[in-house]
Amino acid sequence: MTLSLIILYVLTLIYLSIADRFRNHTSILAIQGVLLFGIAMAHLHSFHPVEMGFIIVETLIFKAIVIPAILMHVIKKTKINRIHASSSQFGALVMSIGALAASCTITYNMADESANIIFFGVALYALLSGLILIVMRKRIFAHLVGFLVIENGVFLFSMAIGVEFPILINLAIMLDILVSILMLGTFLRRMDDDMHTDETDALTSIKD
Amino acid sequence: MLAYLITSILLAVLPLFVRSERATNIIAALFFMVQVAGIAALFHFDRMNDVLLSVFRADTMAVTFHILMTCVLGFTLIHSSSYLKADGISTRSYKAYYTILMLLAVAITCVYYSDNVALTWVFLEATTVCSAGIIYHREFRQSLEATWKYLFVCSTGIAIAYMGILLLSTVATEGSLDYASLKEAIVNGNPLYLKVAFLLIVVGYSCKMEIFPLYTVGIDANYAAPAPASAFISTALVNAGFVSIMRIYHLYSSTGEVFEWARHLLILIGILSLAVGAMFLRRTNNYKRFLSYSTVENMGIVCIGMGIGGLALWAAVFHVICHTFVKSSMFYHVGVMRHIYDSYSINRIGNYININKVGAIGIIVGTLILLAFPPSPLFISEVFIFSEIITVGSWWLLALMLVLMCVVIYAIWSRALRLNYHANQDTLHLSAVNRRLSYSASVLLIAAIILGVWQPEILKSAIDTIVNIG
Repeated sequence: MTLSLIILYVLTLIYLSIADRFRNHTSILAIQGVLLFGIAMAHLHSFHPVEMGFIIVETLIFKAIVIPAILMHVIKKTKINRIHASSSQFGALVMSIGALAASCTITYNMADESANIIFFGVALYALLSGLILIVMRKRIFAHLVGFLVIENGVFLFSMAIGVEFPILINLAIMLDILVSILMLGTFLRRMDDDMHTDETDALTSIKD
Repeated sequence: MLAYLITSILLAVLPLFVRSERATNIIAALFFMVQVAGIAALFHFDRMNDVLLSVFRADTMAVTFHILMTCVLGFTLIHSSSYLKADGISTRSYKAYYTILMLLAVAITCVYYSDNVALTWVFLEATTVCSAGIIYHREFRQSLEATWKYLFVCSTGIAIAYMGILLLSTVATEGSLDYASLKEAIVNGNPLYLKVAFLLIVVGYSCKMEIFPLYTVGIDANYAAPAPASAFISTALVNAGFVSIMRIYHLYSSTGEVFEWARHLLILIGILSLAVGAMFLRRTNNYKRFLSYSTVENMGIVCIGMGIGGLALWAAVFHVICHTFVKSSMFYHVGVMRHIYDSYSINRIGNYININKVGAIGIIVGTLILLAFPPSPLFISEVFIFSEIITVGSWWLLALMLVLMCVVIYAIWSRALRLNYHANQDTLHLSAVNRRLSYSASVLLIAAIILGVWQPEILKSAIDTIVNIG
């Protein structure tokens, strides 16, 4: 069960690297939220109502519903549709596969018996995928998606390591991330309104 | 601590519910007094080193940096009022600015006192959100761009640091993430995990301490924020980054070979920060960015001091404390200068000595202190760092530092002379000259000079304690 979900999660990351419509990016993030919920539930060793509640809030509500809703709202308001026309899908796919290979190699050499090797490798792949999205894509919205992919990777990483923070700290972390995403979404819209741009190439008015 | 936090947060949001700027100023003054009262209460009720609310600890490092932040906050609140009024902003923006500034101060205070590695992360992320509000305050194109970059890079950097914290917490026994428990458990940790964790945490927190590699967002933030807020960001927030890294540094002090590796990493980051500072101090054409690159350069020196250890570590802490006084003062002076020229352009403005003598002298003295010219306290810290480098026999490091610092000295001094004696090409707005602000900004410089001549016993023992926490 967990392995199937993890494989699906990897497939969403590969698809994300070649998807060109931002609506698809948002849908994939929502699917990732649901997959993370399944993975976290399958990973639970026993029934803890508080822990379960937290997982539902963080994955199903937060990652699968709230964040995609915010992103959809931004897409609707800014009318940004797809990634930059000059972006190479093939190049992105090659980079993504390369990142997957690199993640496997690093995991093989680094992870010890205390970590879940599969989770570890996929979390690393998610981190690299997010960074690739940020570096390869020119549209600011894609950067926001990249950041969220990294956040999902971090969530998976915490399961790989098997670290359980106190619930209050987990809540604070979740709240922090939610506020950051809300602010990023707000400023993205403002940039579209005030600067009439959604591309990073236009962000060059501050330099030495 | 709970009373302090609740009062501070309530006071911070109160300006949103009042009508006038005058009422906002009164609330800001009350907020400042709460900070002073909070520190006084710690001493009065002898709560030093006590654990507060299970997750905070009033150790010497926290209290020392809280005192420093409160000093800078007082001046920032005063200078902000004049700065914002001169800008002619709406009452709504005025109130919003003070609210965000005070919330930022609360978040920074929580970073200082946090005794939990995950909570430190939480509050550092909170400072990102608050700082973004201040950076965007002026609402022009560049501030929007700077805010986006700041939010995005800091959030990504902090997410990377979070991965480091997760790796670090693999050593935690019974899930306890307080620094003392982690320090005991860390000796049994996987060395490779610990190295990667340190790398990720330092890289992530570098956006706060304004060191290599994520220093750029701090530069842009200082450029876009109002000058008094830049003073606060460049000192109190940078110190929050320093405190966070210092706590991790102390954690690692018992890890033997891993600690050696971490110290080498800090030296590398320090050298790269110093090099970036030296390079861009020559290139930039904006006085606020210029001061920000000087922060990068100084924090680079601090990192090198931490990497060398021993007496250099003591000097690094002393350097951070003195840098707080000097850098905040310089930003206030530059804020006053901006009233006169309505510009920060290095190439266009000049003749400052004949326009605002007090401010010009302040800038010259501040520059000399930044350049570590005796009786600058930075002279003491840098000499200590150099002597420790010689003791450990890293001659190459000494040579590299000296070469880079020569470039820094040339860049800083030539800019200070240009501002004061070069012909001015910009329009003047002399009605805005406020010499009282120049005098008040100079108070912090005097404090720095006093520290250069005489270090009080209480400060020396505080630094000793901070250095020996490990």
